[in-house]
Amino acid sequence: MAAAALCWALRAARQVLPSSCPRQVRSYYVDWRMLRDVKRRKMAYEYADERLRINAIRKNSILPKELQEVADKEIAALPRDSCPVRIRNRCVLTSRPRGVKRRWRLSRIVFRHFADHAQMSGVQRAMW
Amino acid sequence: MYKAARVLWYLCLLSEVKLPSRRQTGCKQKLFSTSSVLSKDKDKSAASKDSPPEGAAKRQEDGAETSKQQLLDIIGNMKVEVSYRKKLQQLKASENKKQAMNKLEGLDSEGSVPQGITEDTQRDKPLNPELVKAASAVASSLPHNKKQTESELLAQLRRHEETTDKQKKGGTINIRNVISEMTVKRQSPAQWGARISGRISLQDEDGQRIRPDRSSAQSMDSRRSLKVGKRLNIFTKASTEPEHALKTVSSPTIWDLEFAKEVAAVTAQPPRNGFEEMIQWTKEGILWEFPIDNEFGMEDDAEFHEHIFLEKHLEGFPKEGPIRHFMELVICGLSKNPYLSVKQKVEHIEWFQKYFEGKKELLQEI
Repeated sequence: MAAAALCWALRAARQVLPSSCPRQVRSYYVDWRMLRDVKRRKMAYEYADERLRINAIRKNSILPKELQEVADKEIAALPRDSCPVRIRNRCVLTSRPRGVKRRWRLSRIVFRHFADHAQMSGVQRAMW
Repeated sequence: MYKAARVLWYLCLLSEVKLPSRRQTGCKQKLFSTSSVLSKDKDKSAASKDSPPEGAAKRQEDGAETSKQQLLDIIGNMKVEVSYRKKLQQLKASENKKQAMNKLEGLDSEGSVPQGITEDTQRDKPLNPELVKAASAVASSLPHNKKQTESELLAQLRRHEETTDKQKKGGTINIRNVISEMTVKRQSPAQWGARISGRISLQDEDGQRIRPDRSSAQSMDSRRSLKVGKRLNIFTKASTEPEHALKTVSSPTIWDLEFAKEVAAVTAQPPRNGFEEMIQWTKEGILWEFPIDNEFGMEDDAEFHEHIFLEKHLEGFPKEGPIRHFMELVICGLSKNPYLSVKQKVEHIEWFQKYFEGKKELLQEI
């Protein structure tokens, strides 16, 4: 009985645990701005549904205007970091706020560095 | 009688034997007629062992023919000559011989079985002369290629002999085992209990003691007939497994998990090649599973009508007014949304319900 329990636990552990060979794990964010951006993203994810529903009440012409004003106040009362507009797509490696290509989530400088070293799959220097 | 049955069985088999295309219909009719005649004949006699093949014969319902009288006479004679008692005696004699052989050779029954089988087949390879006679008669009765049919019949007879001998072998050994086991085995405690309970005196209302012997004897007999004998092991005990399964699921402790993690960390080898690396990535979730299924992670078991017809969730809302209008629009939008599960849609509607219930006073002012 105990052996069976162990086996089950072993199976679960094996699937979750990383291998014995060390892999680089990012344990720190590049800077505090990146950390704040991460927090904003998390909050926006939590409040996304509520914001959507309250906005649905606000942005229609069927419901009475008083209801819509109440909804306005409600959505303003939500925490500031919960709105998705405050999220900034920073570079993932350098936290650069500008010059970030959305597809790769990298700033232009990092992108160029990797592309020149042939570490970006399918990316080639343009020539025409 | 046994041999008659066998011959008839071969006849039925023969009817399925391939015939040349020229005379196909005529021959088949004749074959079926013979088999039907023979089956009728057999029906008059006692029932035989080979019942399934005769079902095929009994299907045909053609009339009898006079040209088969010879065959019938032979079979009738066969019935008179060979009685079942003789067959039994033969069987017992063969059993005794086999038992003697087995005792001489040793305890290992498996080793002795194949040898016994080969010996029996060698013994019976020269088939019974009566059977041969019957086969020749049948072949002669059939319209074409008598020699070929006769040889085929004899070959089938031989095969049949082999199979029956093998079966007999198996039967005799089982019986022997059962008998031997019966002598060694003591009475089970259940039987002791029965005896004791039988001894407990059954008393009438008057207090007169009923003789327990008769009842105990009867119960003993019935019990003996039920519990005596070697276990057939047909039914396996599957009842204990689910209990074990339940126990294991509920009990893994934190220490067990930690130990398991340690063991996994120690035993996990670095991947030897790219395939193992990819397997590891798949387990960790980095790599998708191929072939890619678009609904990975989405376990929506709901039918389409649960996604589209959402009006039943609108029961908490007033039936008229702007709110109802608004909610109908919401439902229309949700029914067109393929990305949400039914649960999420229901939650959406319920949230609105709560919200509007909270705003009831405000709404009544308006």
